[in-house]
Amino acid sequence: MTTTERIRAILVKNYKLNAEHLTSDARLEALGIDSLGMAELMFSIEDEFGVTLPTEPRPIATFSDVVNLIDELIATKSSRAPLAHNIIAAAPSLAGAPVAAHLMP
Amino acid sequence: MRRVAVTGIGVVCPLGHNASEVFEAARAGRSAIRKLDILGAHRLVAPLAATVSFDAAEHFEPPRQRLLDRVSHFAVVAANRAFADAACALTPAERVRAGVFVGTGMGGSQSMDDGYQTLYGEDSNRIKPMLILQGMHNAPAAWIGIEHGLLGPNLTYSTACSSSSVAIGEAWLRVAHGMLDVAIAGGAEAPLSLGSLKAWEAMHTLARQDADDPATSCKPFSKNRSGMVLGEGAALVVLEPWERALARGAAIHGELIGYGLSTDTGHITRPGVDGQAAAIIAALTSAGIRAGEVDAINAHGTGTLANDSVETAAIKRVFGMRASRIPISATKAVHGHLLGATGALEFVLSLLALKNDVALPTMHLQTPDPECDLDYVPNAARAGAAGRTMLSNSFAFGGTNAVLALREARV
Repeated sequence: MTTTERIRAILVKNYKLNAEHLTSDARLEALGIDSLGMAELMFSIEDEFGVTLPTEPRPIATFSDVVNLIDELIATKSSRAPLAHNIIAAAPSLAGAPVAAHLMP
Repeated sequence: MRRVAVTGIGVVCPLGHNASEVFEAARAGRSAIRKLDILGAHRLVAPLAATVSFDAAEHFEPPRQRLLDRVSHFAVVAANRAFADAACALTPAERVRAGVFVGTGMGGSQSMDDGYQTLYGEDSNRIKPMLILQGMHNAPAAWIGIEHGLLGPNLTYSTACSSSSVAIGEAWLRVAHGMLDVAIAGGAEAPLSLGSLKAWEAMHTLARQDADDPATSCKPFSKNRSGMVLGEGAALVVLEPWERALARGAAIHGELIGYGLSTDTGHITRPGVDGQAAAIIAALTSAGIRAGEVDAINAHGTGTLANDSVETAAIKRVFGMRASRIPISATKAVHGHLLGATGALEFVLSLLALKNDVALPTMHLQTPDPECDLDYVPNAARAGAAGRTMLSNSFAFGGTNAVLALREARV
């Protein structure tokens, strides 16, 4: 399965979304995934792909933004050690997951 | 001061899912206490609890369900039921003068237990991102506010076993004094994780399992009582000014007429006669009634050695010679001790006892205790005995004693 298909499967399973709505330019917020939903989604994605999300905030708005981020992480995974990150270390950011922190109002 | 009507009842509890189910089970003395079937139950000395039959998936979409601990699932569903029962749709202006008052002793303790299992049990750092939101004590109240768009005060009370009586009393004060026009008040608790059960067990507060019938393990006021049995669930009521309830033709379940508080400072757990008696007297004073007007009492009656004899002495202190003629019900024998939700459930049972004029039974009381020598309505309900005015007692670790005074609905 491609990255797109795997992420789509997570969204369909966890959020009961219609796969047809998950086009590359679909906005996550319009799909009902708010900042909290993003934190949870990223947690599932880390498990699915065995990657660790970067600590730097990064704008994630659309379905393709998620796919691109994960593809990048997979590509760099073998070439460098994962950035120091786990949810506990990131806790002072309040949002838990740093990507979500960027989306917080 | 305005009169305050109870116009909505919502329950998610071991005895059932609506007022009539809960009342019938309590009246018939059908115990909801049974052997507990959770992972690790074999590690408990007495694996007993009063559990709720509840499937969160029937009430929540998956993302919302995952975001809430079981305690908030209970709270939101009970609040929805209370508002449905009250049949009061609020206008935007009314929502500004509507508040949420929830008691909980342990908040989202099951989620916290799961998080610790990940962290320590599995030596993993994969703590789920929603843990704080699931675990925080004010989550049940917050979700009720969100669900119903209630814009007034949203308050959580955590005074252990009196939490939800305090929540109802504090809501009553605000409605009675004209600060709010609608309040949803009560409590929620979901304490049946292994971690919490082991902690309660370590305090030597939990009942031994009855050898013949586990359902009878909680024996308030009986000589052979050995402790309490934990239960889970939520009970919420809608409070509003009497005149408002009449004006909109609401069905009124009863009237909340007073609320008394006192604090035992002698010890963190040991109950005191002085403090309990003071809370009862404070409730009478607040209601503007004399001791002679109290027709029945729903006791705190946990089934622990310490509480039941002290509570008996406190009732004697306040009511004197008349104490032995007041029917006293300890319904925890059948629904267990719901900790922060128990006062609200017992308040609901008291309302229903008045409404039906039935003194509810104290079940599993087979062996009289000389130190508990009042009329506990042993083992069988008594029709025509609840009278018109009741007290509902809640006493707590930490010493916060809360007593609610209530009256049958009459214009």
